[in-house]
This record gives sequence, structure tokens and C-alpha cells, in this order.
Amino acid sequence: MNAAALDPIAEAAIDWLVRLNSGCVGADEQLAFARWLQADPRHEAVWREMAGVLEQPVAAIRQAEARQPGQQRAAHLVLGAPARRKALRSSAAGLLLLGLGGYVLHRQQPLEALLADMHTATGERRRAVLADGSVLLLDARSAVNIDFGAQVRLLNLRQGQILVEAAAAPGRPLIVRTEHGEARALGTRFVVRRGEAGSELAVLDHSVQLTAANGSRHNFAAGRAARYDAQGIVPLADSAAALAAWSQGLLDVRDRPMGEVIAALRSYQRGYLRISPQAAALRVFGVFPLDDPDATLASLAETQPIVIRRFAGLLTRIEHRNEIS
Amino acid sequence: MSAAHLVAHLYVDHYAWLHGWLRRKIGCTHLAADLTQDTFVRVLGGREVAQLNEPRAYLMTLAQRVLFSFWRRRDLEQAWLEALAQQTESQAPSAEDYALVREAIETLDRLLAGLPLRARRVFLMNRLDELSYPEIARQIGVSLATVERDMKRALTQCWLVGLDRGATAWPT
Repeated sequence: MNAAALDPIAEAAIDWLVRLNSGCVGADEQLAFARWLQADPRHEAVWREMAGVLEQPVAAIRQAEARQPGQQRAAHLVLGAPARRKALRSSAAGLLLLGLGGYVLHRQQPLEALLADMHTATGERRRAVLADGSVLLLDARSAVNIDFGAQVRLLNLRQGQILVEAAAAPGRPLIVRTEHGEARALGTRFVVRRGEAGSELAVLDHSVQLTAANGSRHNFAAGRAARYDAQGIVPLADSAAALAAWSQGLLDVRDRPMGEVIAALRSYQRGYLRISPQAAALRVFGVFPLDDPDATLASLAETQPIVIRRFAGLLTRIEHRNEIS
Repeated sequence: MSAAHLVAHLYVDHYAWLHGWLRRKIGCTHLAADLTQDTFVRVLGGREVAQLNEPRAYLMTLAQRVLFSFWRRRDLEQAWLEALAQQTESQAPSAEDYALVREAIETLDRLLAGLPLRARRVFLMNRLDELSYPEIARQIGVSLATVERDMKRALTQCWLVGLDRGATAWPT
């Protein structure tokens, strides 16, 4: 793609387009353009075609903007993404940047997931039997790399959560690793969830030896759960069975903020799920079906003071009733 | 044998593994079926099917492009929804506008792909924000001549990519 591929009429038309878009066109220039346009029927033909290619998408965005302000700004942000940081200065722009920062993180996930040995899409759980007979269950939007050697069986959890049923292999431990630490199976069934700030372990059978990234180490027996990161290990009061309920297609929450419930549903809901801070702070009890996020949202709406609104089928907003005037 | 027959044979012989390959890539059998269809649609719009020596390699290349387009479209859509959600508190676009703007963003993204960042910004500031060249030059701190050069570069690329549309059409 280079200028050499441009024929002279098209190049002249582009030069006119550059000048006419300047925002400061004089009357004499407009007259000169009208003369060029009429000088040759091919000029007008190329000009029309060019206007179609170049103006149609811009016009569509402007029309939508006229009906509902904000779309043009959103379009600009999306299309100018890599360069926008320097251009934006207002506090409103700062907020937008925060939002898009989250987006940048999110858009890396498909790539992460694609590169991993095993991964699942939105709303999908997958079960696999590994070479050694161990069974692996991946939650939705999860990715894991499998690295089985002669000395150690390593599962690198890149995203989401997995349930492991480790087959016995004396002298060849099975380890689930995240950047927050390592969970070493001692002949057992357990769940590891990788979050952004830390990972969680829930032991279902026998026991697991947990080593956090800072080197602190602790054994956890069946039924126990813990959270770990670079600062160390914190035992959790939650039951291990509740943390592993996703493996049965259920979400089991006891006195958890609704924000966490919505975060778990995101892996099962196509489109974008947003919750206001006020609604996110509400406390939730219950067992919900993961495979039917709409039903879960509907049952939350029956028991909680929230309003759920859907836009264009792809964006769902959850707000506290007090926020709706 | 006619081109349509050749494509039909290609379809019968290769549908299953291509669908399997795409399903492993994206983990959803229905979506993989859609993308497999898109790939065969590209075969119809592509070069002479009769000349295919390596149909698997050819299909794989097309399928990779389809997959890339799919991820890109999904990323754009998510980014747009995110940007909208951050700024419009109570209103959301109608379904018609949603479709209209999504398509426009995809088109512009394709037209501007690979353009240097500054030229991309100049184009968006002028065409979307309707800023004059002197205003753009002031905001990004370059000369008027640079803005004009960037605009010409952006418009030239858009025009050439737009002309080439038939060969690189996005699946619809």
C-alpha cells in the first residue's frame, strides 16, 4: 500500500479532500474545487466514490451521535486507543481511561487463553483426563498450561479456576502454580482460582501443601480454604465445597457482596455486565445456576433492592433502587 | 467441474476438521460452526479454487484470518460498550444505532489499520471531532504542514484499503 498505487485523478481528489476538510476554506478555494470537479466527468466519478468510502462510516457515527450523544466520543476512544493518553486531560477523560485500562487487560485474555494448552470460552466448562490419569475441570473463561515432566507434574493456571483430581504418582508431585504461589497435591481433589490480586485454594479431599510466593507454607486439610499472594497465606472462613460449587454448575454464596456474585457470573454471561458500587455492596445468600445467568439475575432482582437494565442485548447494568430516581 | 462444485467438494471434504480446529481455538461449537461458514464464504470470494494444490493450508490461512477478524471485532465491540458505559449514565443507543455505529467502527478500524498513531489521531480529530487543522496542530503540538501531511496519508490509506474491500471483506 503506497502512494504509487494512486492514480493521478484519485491523488488530486485526495488533495482536494485534504484542503476542504481543513476547517478554514476560502471562497476562492471552493470555486477552484467546483471548477476541478466540472473539468472532467472522471473527476466527479472518483470524487463520488471517494466520498462514499471515506464519509459513509463517519456520517453513520455522526447521525447516531445526533440522536444519542456520547457515541462519537466512544468511537474516537476506541479507534484512537493507543494514542489517546496524551490527548486527554480532563477528569472525565481520566475516568474513561480507567475504564479502558480495564478493557486493555480484558482484551489480552483471549490471546492468553489462545496460547494456553487448555482453555474455555464464556459459559463453557470443560473436563479433561490428563496423561497420568489425573482429571482436570476448567471453569468458564479459564486457561491452563500443562507441563508434565519426569520429576514433577506442573499445571500453570493462567486465568480463571480449575478443579484437579490428582492421580497418585509417588515421587512425581502434581503442582498448580499461579504467580501468587504453588499448591502441591498430596493425593487429592482441590480447586485453585487465580484472581488478579491473589489466588484461592479450596481442598475437597485429603490435603494440599500450599506455598505462597513469599515462601510461607501451610498444609490444608479437606474442607478448608485459603487465599494467597506475595504477602503470604490467609485461611478463609468459606467452606471449600462452596468455593468448588462451580464444578457442579452452581454458585454457592453465603453473605458475600453482590459485586463478587456478578464477577462470577461474568464468565458465563456473553456481553458486558456492569454493577454500580452501591448495588455491589449488597450482601447475598443463596445457590444460583451458573449456566443460566439471566435466571440468576432475575432471582437476585426478586430478593434484592436492585434494578436490572439491558441495552441492545449486550450491556447489562445492575443498579441499586435508590439510585433510580 | 464448475467452481461451485469444487467448493462443494471442498466443503464436504474439509468441513469437519476445520470446524474441529476452530472449536479448539475458541472453545464454542456453535461459534466455531459460524466461523467455519465464514471461512467457506471467503473461499467463494477468493482466488480460483481449481488451482488449489494445498487445500488444507489454504483453508487454514483463511480460517486464521476469519478468527483474527472475529477477535478484533469482539475487542472493538467490548471497548466501545465500555467507553459508552463509562460516560452515558442512563441512556443507551437504540438497537439500530448500535448496529450502525458498530459497523462504522469496524470499517474505520479496518481502513486505518497500520497507520502511524499520529496520522490516525489527526484523522479522528478532524473527521469525528470536526476540529480544524490549526486547532489540531495546536492540540498535538505540530506544524500545520504536518497535520496536512498526516491527513493526506490517512485519506490515501483509507481510499486504497477501501478500494481493496472486495478482496478483504469482513465476514458479515
